[in-house]
Amino acid sequence: MSGAELGSALTLLREPLLETGGEQVLAGLRGGLAWLHANQEEINDLNVFPVPDGDTGSNMYLTLRSAVEEAQAATTPSSGASVLAAAAHGSLMGARGNSGVILSQVLRGLAQGVGGRSKLDAAAWARGLREASDVAYKAVMKPTEGTILTVVREASEATSLAAEESPDIVAVLEQGVRAAHAAVERTTEQLQVLRDAGVVDAGGFGFAVILEGLTRAVADPGSAHSPPSSPRRRLGENRVQLPFGGGGGEGAAPSAPRSSTRRGAAAMEMRADGWGYCTEFLIHGPGLDADALRVELAALGESALVVGDGDLVRVHIHTAEPAPLIALASQRGRLSKLKVEDMSAQHHEVLERADAAEAASSPPAQQATPDAPRKSLGVVSVAPGRGFRDILDSLGADSVVEGGQTMNPSIEDLINAVRAARADSVILLPNNSNVILTAQQVDGLIDDIEVRVVPTRNLPQGISALLALEPDSPLDDNCSRMSGAIEHVHALEVTRAVRDSTVNGHSIIEGDVLGILDDEITEVGQDEHSVIEAVLRGVEETPELVTVYSGAHVGAADAEALAVGLRTAFPATEFEVHVGGQEHYPYVLSLE
Amino acid sequence: MIRVVTDSTSDLLPEEALRLGVDVVPLTVRFGDQQYRDGIDLTPDEFYRRLPTTSVQPSTSQPSPQQFAEVYRRHVSAGDSVVSVHISAKLSGTLQSATLAAQDFAPGAVSVVDSASVSAGVQFLVRGALTDIAAGVTHDEVVERMEARRERVSVYVLLDSLTYLQRGGRIGRAQGLLGGILNVKPLLRVSAEVHPQARVRSRQQGIAKMVALAAAQRPLESLAIFHCGAPELLGLIEPRLRVDHPGVEIFSGQLGAVVGTYSGPGGIGIAMLRAG
Repeated sequence: MSGAELGSALTLLREPLLETGGEQVLAGLRGGLAWLHANQEEINDLNVFPVPDGDTGSNMYLTLRSAVEEAQAATTPSSGASVLAAAAHGSLMGARGNSGVILSQVLRGLAQGVGGRSKLDAAAWARGLREASDVAYKAVMKPTEGTILTVVREASEATSLAAEESPDIVAVLEQGVRAAHAAVERTTEQLQVLRDAGVVDAGGFGFAVILEGLTRAVADPGSAHSPPSSPRRRLGENRVQLPFGGGGGEGAAPSAPRSSTRRGAAAMEMRADGWGYCTEFLIHGPGLDADALRVELAALGESALVVGDGDLVRVHIHTAEPAPLIALASQRGRLSKLKVEDMSAQHHEVLERADAAEAASSPPAQQATPDAPRKSLGVVSVAPGRGFRDILDSLGADSVVEGGQTMNPSIEDLINAVRAARADSVILLPNNSNVILTAQQVDGLIDDIEVRVVPTRNLPQGISALLALEPDSPLDDNCSRMSGAIEHVHALEVTRAVRDSTVNGHSIIEGDVLGILDDEITEVGQDEHSVIEAVLRGVEETPELVTVYSGAHVGAADAEALAVGLRTAFPATEFEVHVGGQEHYPYVLSLE
Repeated sequence: MIRVVTDSTSDLLPEEALRLGVDVVPLTVRFGDQQYRDGIDLTPDEFYRRLPTTSVQPSTSQPSPQQFAEVYRRHVSAGDSVVSVHISAKLSGTLQSATLAAQDFAPGAVSVVDSASVSAGVQFLVRGALTDIAAGVTHDEVVERMEARRERVSVYVLLDSLTYLQRGGRIGRAQGLLGGILNVKPLLRVSAEVHPQARVRSRQQGIAKMVALAAAQRPLESLAIFHCGAPELLGLIEPRLRVDHPGVEIFSGQLGAVVGTYSGPGGIGIAMLRAG
């Protein structure tokens, strides 16, 4: 019998559920995580552009995973409020990408809205979801309908109505799940980009899946172990089966991780001699000093992520010898959740790709002597690929976080990099439109460093902004100078379509070369050279300088041949070729 | 009578110097064991033609005190006094040679002034002094006014790259402008020494910055633009300056071989004198 059928049957037969304590809330969160995991790749594929950058599912999954990890370590495990508060905190630290940040705000609102009670009743859940919707809307500067916001709001409205009718938590949440899935269904019609791409909103669908998994797990803790695995959201599929009684059970086989281009990206970062052991644990207080611990533990390994407060500190370190590290940590407090893994094995797991990204992103500056004086202004930048990282380094970035198009860094990654810059104030350059929102959360989470985001949407903008840096000038001056600098550079990104589509009147066939100028698909063709040339011919003002950044899989000879051709076609323009090392995009060009 | 003496880094052309009655003491440019008097044996045009293809990097040296002493003696023995204004002491030993030479004369006969500037920036001080002298002010007042006018001068140079500045060992504070892996065009401010102003990737961006810097200092008394072996560049900036500064005279010229050794070819600069 499949999980779905079991769930449906239980709806009819079980006793009403009047309150949920911490254990049930935790089970619910785990259920949400399991359902999200099963749908992760499906959500990734719900991408409005036919370009290989869909990672909403992975971002939401990694964010929720961080929430569940914290929830498991809640100070009062029996209290529903305490477990949700811990989850909210965990999601915030682990938030990646725009969808992850919004999900973290949903959880924050939920935790605020349920109140402080240990046992949560149906009314508390309804209040929590209402607050979740309010907080999520506020987190976005220009709320757009047809996104996760709409789905959260409609779910919360449905639960509020249901809570007036029934004290049964499962019945109330089920109404929320139905409303959520119905709202997901309508997103296609609400947003032109979704209609053009023929997809539903990925974030909204992700939320509906989480709420469904949570509801099923609250209703029946066993159901969390058998989430759906068959794609529910295949492209071109017009009807969706509503859960709970809509009929049609789903298979329970665990979904195998799909081969993904992202895996290549992570594997690239692996050293020939391996990473040693990935060591993770929690240190329990009271009286812990996270900053001191960071310094102490970082000396024993690489890529130290040490976060927390006086009561609980989370540690994630890569080390060749875990034993002395654990011995030292155990002198500082009680350890739990100890996990030591051989990282070369870890690399083969889909989940751990993200950990590898964290590892790669932790800048060497973290090993700076702890009492080195802070400078007044630092810059932290995000970049995919070693080439771009080296360029940003050479231009004076204090630390460069690995990430970008398909590997959005978490808030925690950014926080660690900001701290590693060892400066009184730090300018963050996200260099990707999907990282901007994450970057904007950082300032609110660090007390002793003033953090500003210059919202660079791509690498060419990030490089222009960094060139405008004057380390001796005040923070405000630099922010406005950098913001001004990014207006004068255009970015042309070249990639291949991952599926058929119609965008901006272009009929696109899988494998077509796409020329994306400042986030708009402007040319479609068969080879990179002709697409780039066509885009350059179309720009209003012929650029004086074009810098070509070649991707990870483009040979030096190919890049140079491209430049030679372009120089002939545009004799008045200077062409410079550098290695960017980015995945998925054979070429990124800056036009200035 | 009060005579004005300067050096070849003022980029005052020989015919113009002759017309103004100003002595220009040349620095020396060396390609290997070949020596040239800046602006006399080697014109800027010849220099920039040679620079990109030369296998030996040129080097430069300040005039000897003897060269200054000869000029000073000629004027002092004729009963004149001398105001001698030169390239910033932080950039060249020229001022030191002039100061040494001046010590052999009676107090008040020869005054040596550090322009804290270069090229057209020095010229502003030369031309200002000539105006003051024509107006009949005293020697000491010419010097005082020159030192006051010095504060109103600013010079910016957009180089094609930092290569030559670095190679010549004169990079100083401009080190921070190094673009690392990318080719970066540095915008420098010369005020006593070379300061980093900005780094840009294209000439247009740099020119726009210079135009904005000039606009921010309005009203101007005088403007000058100069190039490094690339006269066509002046056309990119001059019309914009005319729009921003109507009625202000704009001098144009070329950076000579000595400073050109450090700027390299392809640069463009702007010098301005704020209204007093």
